[in-house]
Amino acid sequence: MSATLIPETGSAAASMRRNFWRGVWRVMRRKPSRMVGVVIIVGFAFMAVFGPMFYPDHLPGDTNAITKPPSWEHWFGTDPQGRDVLALVVTGSRYVLLSAAVTALITVVLGTGLGLFSGFKRGRWDTVLMRITDMKLTIPGLPLLLVLATVWKFGNPVQMGLVLGLLGWGGVARAVRAQTLSLRERGFIEAARGLGLSTSHIIGKELLPSMAPYIAMNMLIAVTGAVYAQVGLFFLGVLPYESNNWGVMLNLAVFQAGAMITPYALGYLLCPLLAILLLTLGIVLVVDAMDEIFNPRLREE
Amino acid sequence: MKRLAAVVALLGLATATACSGGSSNGSGGGSGGGGGLFTTIDVNRPGLDASAPANPYNPKGNSFSAFNAMKIGWVKNHLTDPNQALPGIAASWEIAPDNSSITLHLQPNAKWSDGQPVTAEDVKLSIGIAYTQGSTAFAVTPGAAGAAADVTVVDDKTLKITQDMANPSPKFARGVLDTTVVPAHVWKDVLPADFWDKLKAARGEGADAEKAREEVTALGEKVLAFAPAKDVSAGPFVLERVNPGEALLVKNKNFFNAANVAPAQVKFLNYTGNEQIWNYLTAGKLDHSGFVAAPTDVMNRIKSAPGNEVIKGYSPVAVGMAFNQSKKPYDNVHVRRGLAYLINRDEVTKVASPEGGTPAVTTSGIHQKAAPAWIGDTAAQLEPYKPDLAKAEEEFKQAGLEKKDGKWTLADGKPWKVSMHAPAGFSDWLSAQENIKSQLIKAGVDAEVVTTADYPLYLEELAAGKYDVGFWLMALGPAPYDIFQRLYGASNGWTNVAGKVQHAAPGKNGNWMGGPEEIEVDGTKINPGELTAKLNTAPAEEAKPIMVQLAKAANQDLPVIQLWDYVNNQFVNNSRFTGWPHDDEILRLGSGVLASGVWIQLGMIKPKQ
Repeated sequence: MSATLIPETGSAAASMRRNFWRGVWRVMRRKPSRMVGVVIIVGFAFMAVFGPMFYPDHLPGDTNAITKPPSWEHWFGTDPQGRDVLALVVTGSRYVLLSAAVTALITVVLGTGLGLFSGFKRGRWDTVLMRITDMKLTIPGLPLLLVLATVWKFGNPVQMGLVLGLLGWGGVARAVRAQTLSLRERGFIEAARGLGLSTSHIIGKELLPSMAPYIAMNMLIAVTGAVYAQVGLFFLGVLPYESNNWGVMLNLAVFQAGAMITPYALGYLLCPLLAILLLTLGIVLVVDAMDEIFNPRLREE
Repeated sequence: MKRLAAVVALLGLATATACSGGSSNGSGGGSGGGGGLFTTIDVNRPGLDASAPANPYNPKGNSFSAFNAMKIGWVKNHLTDPNQALPGIAASWEIAPDNSSITLHLQPNAKWSDGQPVTAEDVKLSIGIAYTQGSTAFAVTPGAAGAAADVTVVDDKTLKITQDMANPSPKFARGVLDTTVVPAHVWKDVLPADFWDKLKAARGEGADAEKAREEVTALGEKVLAFAPAKDVSAGPFVLERVNPGEALLVKNKNFFNAANVAPAQVKFLNYTGNEQIWNYLTAGKLDHSGFVAAPTDVMNRIKSAPGNEVIKGYSPVAVGMAFNQSKKPYDNVHVRRGLAYLINRDEVTKVASPEGGTPAVTTSGIHQKAAPAWIGDTAAQLEPYKPDLAKAEEEFKQAGLEKKDGKWTLADGKPWKVSMHAPAGFSDWLSAQENIKSQLIKAGVDAEVVTTADYPLYLEELAAGKYDVGFWLMALGPAPYDIFQRLYGASNGWTNVAGKVQHAAPGKNGNWMGGPEEIEVDGTKINPGELTAKLNTAPAEEAKPIMVQLAKAANQDLPVIQLWDYVNNQFVNNSRFTGWPHDDEILRLGSGVLASGVWIQLGMIKPKQ
């Protein structure tokens, strides 16, 4: 066994990978809810990428069917323009999910990069970077976003994601640094250093993989945070109006269609809410699965 | 980020629970005995401020016009005569035939809530205060039309106010009557002793006058901030207390018509948006509410609540889609006409304001209800701009636009997108623009809807010429000048200073519409701005032919496309009180006046037996 391990061969790596996927499959199978989570997330990704292609660029409205309750024809009813609510949610998902993805990416890349660097380097760099992080963490996000919204119109999902991402990396950076500080004192890092391996090897091949699950989970959670934040901003009506944005839909359902007063507009309110709820559920379920896949203590039966 | 998410989620949850709470506990409020407590809202001002003073001039002031604040008279919503009014502090008045003066006779028994009599001195001081705020009759702007020249106290209960006949206005009397009266013994220190001398100086010319004007205007700040120790009211009610949820007023025993005032108490409920008013109304909580926009389903809910009734009446306001003619291609009248043929106004109104509006018959600049009185048969001769795709295409072709792959482009081949702007909170305007967008896209004209944070910012950016197309309130009657100055006034380049009309180039001096200075109507060139300015001084009979010309000009030149004419919806509840008027003229009164207060003080409202 040891003979095959020292000169790391391609077949060994392949079998490890195979083992990993087998482990994933086992974890998934143990709780069917985790499968559901994966299906939900894949479904949302599909909806954002391909969903809008099933509808015309401009959704047709029917003025004879304004704010109708759910029916066979319109599963979640129609909006005050007579458009299908489900179609609005599907076409609106692209903005929401794209900006959430951008947010998650920025949060993770910035947070991980800074956390790893200052945790591994320590010393002056650590002090400076962590003070900056502390300062960033003291800035309250929502009020800042409200102010930003008056000058910046966030017409583009990438812009939106960029701003949310730049506001959200602080927590991840702090957590990754803490993790790095604890790992760098462990035996395997000591050994790697003793072997004279390069810093990039230690960080890239030793540290990062052991933190990957943690980072991945943070990324998924950042997605839900980003969805809440932007939908909230649109709901409050501080951002420009776009009829198929989930937040705008919630706002119009309450303040234009009167969803709190008449049951006819309930579908209009529920559909985007349900979408957000489902997305969150999917992410929570997948995070649960990931936890077990990567955490050896949970894996052992 | 997580914290942020939590805050947002909490906010959402709080809103949701607050709203559902409001609707679920509502059913109990519908019944109840007659008389006693009268519940309403101040429909003009959302959000009560418990710490604000009982000052009618303070924007947040706990002073409710016609309840605990009185005006000289309550101007009516007449189709054509701006000077008709119901008695307020003045029991009667005489207007000189040439509008040169008005003589007021105050209510003989009028008293303040602290027992002091209401005198001509109170009214005079109130007029002085009105000058610091600027009103139509009491303005220090030199040469303002319809400004008062002199205020004379004839005796304790009589005043005579004369008009400056250098630039007279037929609605001078309206300006005088629509003035709030405050108690001189409480407010006397707000104005300096030499105020009237200063005012005289301010009405002159030169540097001294300029300085005096500044001093008078500076007093305005003092007036706004003035906080009487307690409310002293000459109205049917007096302020008892205010908390963030409601303001409570109790009957003023000294009110001159107290015997006929039905409610013993009045409660103003706090609200922040329309949706909250819908909640109150569906619960049957309000005895009266003024106009609130509501979608059809909500309206049906409101109507079905026990005792609720919606009284519909005339509202001299319309909304139009206005163009910035300095921007291409809107400078071309054929483009505007083409758009007018494309937009189905019935459909727009059905989506945006089914309960609060009637589709405009055509663009005439006048509300369809007032049009017959002003322009008679001409109304029927105007081009109705019925939806007609073929005519629209013809107009676009005449304008040089080109259709490529089913999409219209500008003459130079560049893409054309109709960019419509509206303030974010105006749900009916947004709905309308969204619908127009759909209609235009269907016809091959690309379009978009852009929102602006609030109405003041919207007006500012509109005036700065930042928008191509925006919605614009128009036909603001009843005075003919007010009707047409929305189309051919300052926003279109014509300013009327000291009776002299000047035209500013597009983009200058607030001219954002940028229309042509002259328009050919029936073969002759007319200057619509100058004609509009003439309306300011012309008596009704002289105004009519001018109105005909202007309506024709507006109809063929289309500075705006008139979309719908507003309907005045008043919400009343018959469970506790009865006697609600159904007469158009008194369903809507002067600006800021709460109509139910006037009905109550005149003794029209009776407790239900």
